[in-house]
Amino acid sequence: MAFGQILVNWLLLGSLYGAVALGVSLVWGIMNIVNLAHGAFVILGAYAAFWMYTQLHIDPYISIPLTMAFLFIIGWIVQYTLINRVIRAPFLVTFLLTFGLDLLIIDLVQQIFTSDLRSVNTIYAGSGLDIGSTHIAFDRLIAAAIAIVLTAALNYFLTHTREGNAILATGMDRDAARLMGINIRNTYALTFAIGAALAGAAGAMLAELYPFNPSNGDAFKLRAFAIVILGGLGSPWGALAGGLVFGLVETVVPLIPGVGPGYDDAIAFAVLVAVLIFRPDGLLGKPFYR
Amino acid sequence: MLRRGELNKTSGARHKQSELTGVKGPLDTSSSTQEKPLLELHGLSTGYGETQVLWDISLHVMHGEVVALVGANGAGKSTLLNTISGLLQSWEGTIVFAGRDITRYRAERIAKLGLVQVPQGRRLFGGLTIEENLRLGAYTNRAGSARAIAADLERVYMLLPKLCERRKQLTHSLSGGEQQMCAIARGLMARPNLLLIDELSLGLAPNIVDDLLTAIDNIHRQEKMSFLLVEQDVQIALERAHRAYVLEGGHIVLSGPATDLLKSEKIRIAYLGA
Repeated sequence: MAFGQILVNWLLLGSLYGAVALGVSLVWGIMNIVNLAHGAFVILGAYAAFWMYTQLHIDPYISIPLTMAFLFIIGWIVQYTLINRVIRAPFLVTFLLTFGLDLLIIDLVQQIFTSDLRSVNTIYAGSGLDIGSTHIAFDRLIAAAIAIVLTAALNYFLTHTREGNAILATGMDRDAARLMGINIRNTYALTFAIGAALAGAAGAMLAELYPFNPSNGDAFKLRAFAIVILGGLGSPWGALAGGLVFGLVETVVPLIPGVGPGYDDAIAFAVLVAVLIFRPDGLLGKPFYR
Repeated sequence: MLRRGELNKTSGARHKQSELTGVKGPLDTSSSTQEKPLLELHGLSTGYGETQVLWDISLHVMHGEVVALVGANGAGKSTLLNTISGLLQSWEGTIVFAGRDITRYRAERIAKLGLVQVPQGRRLFGGLTIEENLRLGAYTNRAGSARAIAADLERVYMLLPKLCERRKQLTHSLSGGEQQMCAIARGLMARPNLLLIDELSLGLAPNIVDDLLTAIDNIHRQEKMSFLLVEQDVQIALERAHRAYVLEGGHIVLSGPATDLLKSEKIRIAYLGA
């Protein structure tokens, strides 16, 4: 395969991975809430986009704001009514709670949509820019652009707005944040809701790009956590950086003579282990966020 | 003038004006004529889990008054402040602030009322800049508008110019004195009626402590703000306060005008090493 094509494939896949990990970066990296239902939220986003495409004939990219709003509401409710109750309990409780939630959501989706493989076929699927022998598919290009816009928007929100700063402060020191007058229950709910909305956006992009069924969530969940560690906790741009590294490994490894497909996961996680050994804070991580 | 267990006499909220005016401390500019205390604790007890830390605490702070709460390490001073601030629930007793029973209020609601704590160990948001920390101090928006907050920020910078120089610096990279400065400034940004300061002097060089106390003097003079200073350094606290309470093993064992306590034999032996 031509070098240019590899580069394009890598950048597009990497930024998509970044989008999948962005919500985890916020909820776990900054707020310290482990959300094992993240993969389920991604799947929920994919099916929401699929439903709107088949029933209302809205393109998944156009319906992203609606998908995000839907997941935002679900995320808010989950945090406010469930996770807030165990926020001071040992983190294994949250672990179990969100694990159960993951199963519940996936099973519900399966009940409603069955476990058939679904896909969204837009009219522009397959078309794209051709530069020399390099093909840049429109749908992937748009997904990458959305991923970068979402990362930049999240970063701006966290660093430049009052509520964004309240989220960072609550993540750094919960009691000190309360002394500032920050209502941490609402702040947790807002953080979790934004994380779910970002998962929904990633799901909509996946629906556009790949065939999917309800059990696809697990693979993304695992990758999302690995990507966040790789990129570094507490930084939205770190999620994108981690996504790019993960995407690089998955794009390049199958091309190595004698390796072929099948080892990409193993090597991607080996990279994760290496990063943890040699740079425990991740690529762009800020240790004091923890 | 020293009374053991003043708690028995604080009921009825009648505090003699002479208690204030008789003091000749450096902060003696107060001319409070308010009858009711700004903060009043009555029979407060609390602890962690099964362990009781405070027993039957009663104290009050008048409008515009500087009150010190002194005692050795582990006497329960920070526990008391955290109970007042709502971070810790009281087991018994009442807390009244500005005429409102706040005993069961959550911490964030108490901060909104203008009862603000500068916590022990600064507790700044280390990954954020000085200015971001200060703006979070104004989170409750008691100033009322973005413009008023900006004006407050300028005022705080005027008061503590060093913070202005480093406004874009992350607070975890500041020295201890600068961090304490930032923590106090963050407390001021909340526009408090009563500022609780926990261990202002802890771990700081004496000249830095002097600077900070001078800054607090100025604020007190200009703003008629009330302070409750929690201190391990009894000398510093008693020199600056109008009145003081001595906390020992979770009980208030002494209280009275700071000048009297400074002269007291018991205090000199137990806390001042003279």
